[in-house]
Amino acid sequence: HQDGKTRYVDAIPLAHTWPQLTPMFDVAVQQASIYAQSKQLSIGGYYVAYEDPADIQLSASSALLATALLAAGDRVVAFVIDAQQLTPESTRPGLIPFIGGDSQWKEQPGAFGEGKGSAFRLENNQVLGVAQRLVAERAETAIHDFDEHLDDVTLDWLQNPLLNERIRTA
Amino acid sequence: MSSSLHLLADIRQSSERRPFSVLQLAEPLLNTNSVSATDDAYLVYEQVFISAIDERQIELAKALLLLLRKRFPASLRVKRLYGMINEAVGHPDEAQSIYTEMLATDPTNVLASKRLIALLKAAGHTDEAVAQLAAYLDTHSNDFEAWLELAHLYMRNHRLAQAAFCLEEVILQQPANHYFHLCYAELCYSMGRLDLALKEYLRVVELSTDNLRAFYGVKLVADRIRELRARSKKDPALCIDDAPQPATLDRLAQLATERLVAIYSRANQVTKTTAELWLSS
Repeated sequence: HQDGKTRYVDAIPLAHTWPQLTPMFDVAVQQASIYAQSKQLSIGGYYVAYEDPADIQLSASSALLATALLAAGDRVVAFVIDAQQLTPESTRPGLIPFIGGDSQWKEQPGAFGEGKGSAFRLENNQVLGVAQRLVAERAETAIHDFDEHLDDVTLDWLQNPLLNERIRTA
Repeated sequence: MSSSLHLLADIRQSSERRPFSVLQLAEPLLNTNSVSATDDAYLVYEQVFISAIDERQIELAKALLLLLRKRFPASLRVKRLYGMINEAVGHPDEAQSIYTEMLATDPTNVLASKRLIALLKAAGHTDEAVAQLAAYLDTHSNDFEAWLELAHLYMRNHRLAQAAFCLEEVILQQPANHYFHLCYAELCYSMGRLDLALKEYLRVVELSTDNLRAFYGVKLVADRIRELRARSKKDPALCIDDAPQPATLDRLAQLATERLVAIYSRANQVTKTTAELWLSS
């Protein structure tokens, strides 16, 4: 937050079963918050990907979850993953930001645009290529979210070191 | 029977959807013609067909379909596979007419009814899928898996109360399955019915062993109820009327904490420390 900008440096996966239900979300967010603080970070956002890749609007359930996060942090952005942008041909990040205000979440237009005024930017221009490669290699099997941690407590859902290694060496 | 065939049979038995694994196991067998002599040959072909269309291997799927049709030319079970391959290549209208034809021949055909509902769901017509599934359940109310599917459709549309009703039906039919009590507990919590959520989480603890979600649930809800009772203003959206006495809540929270600490002794440093900080906050 040094120059008035927010840098998103890490992401923690939460759930893939019953993502509309809140109790384990509450536990996970509270613990993610504790973890973030230990790294002098805070929760800046929430990301979600829907079963149907054509579905790129923030759903009612997701909006509720994102609103719950607003209570915890100041500037929280909800990102919907646009999976159709994860192809090698795509030059856009495939993240659609929604900004919360009052009781509504609105899509931020022109978010990752070319111009200087665009609200969001990728700091590392290799990220897109790496992400596309990892998707093609089915790297998602290396992701352990809080759901999986609940089935196997030895899995590190906060740091996901194996996945980070794959990202580093991709 | 080779170990691959055993594994394929296990996957069929568990009804898990693991198309990648199925193809990995089956392709060498098919290439060396090791399947045709076995008793389960056509079950394997059907299984690999379904996995093939999941993995967009349409040519393989077509080849298997021809084998199946040759052996069972009049079968409705095979006919529905024609419907499915049409769905897979993006011909939902053809698929729909196949399923409709099947139902004309046999109005009770469960496979066709379910595929029609799946078509609606895949096309994003959730409301219609819900209506069809509800109609199906009118005549097949013992199909608890269908009740579960309906619950999921309702959850997608954030209709939690309706989803909870479906879970109640499932639990009536499968009262000893902790998974359903767990889903119901989480639905109750999400709807603000904390007293019922606590009861159901405790049921999960009773029905399973070392269930982390359940222990977290008991601790989370017990703490929440205590916190709400301490407030002077009541929140009308939250229901805690049937919750246990404070002393019982304290004990439950304490027991849940003990169980969580015991389980976390196996976890790595970071997740363990974070969990312990959460428990003490």
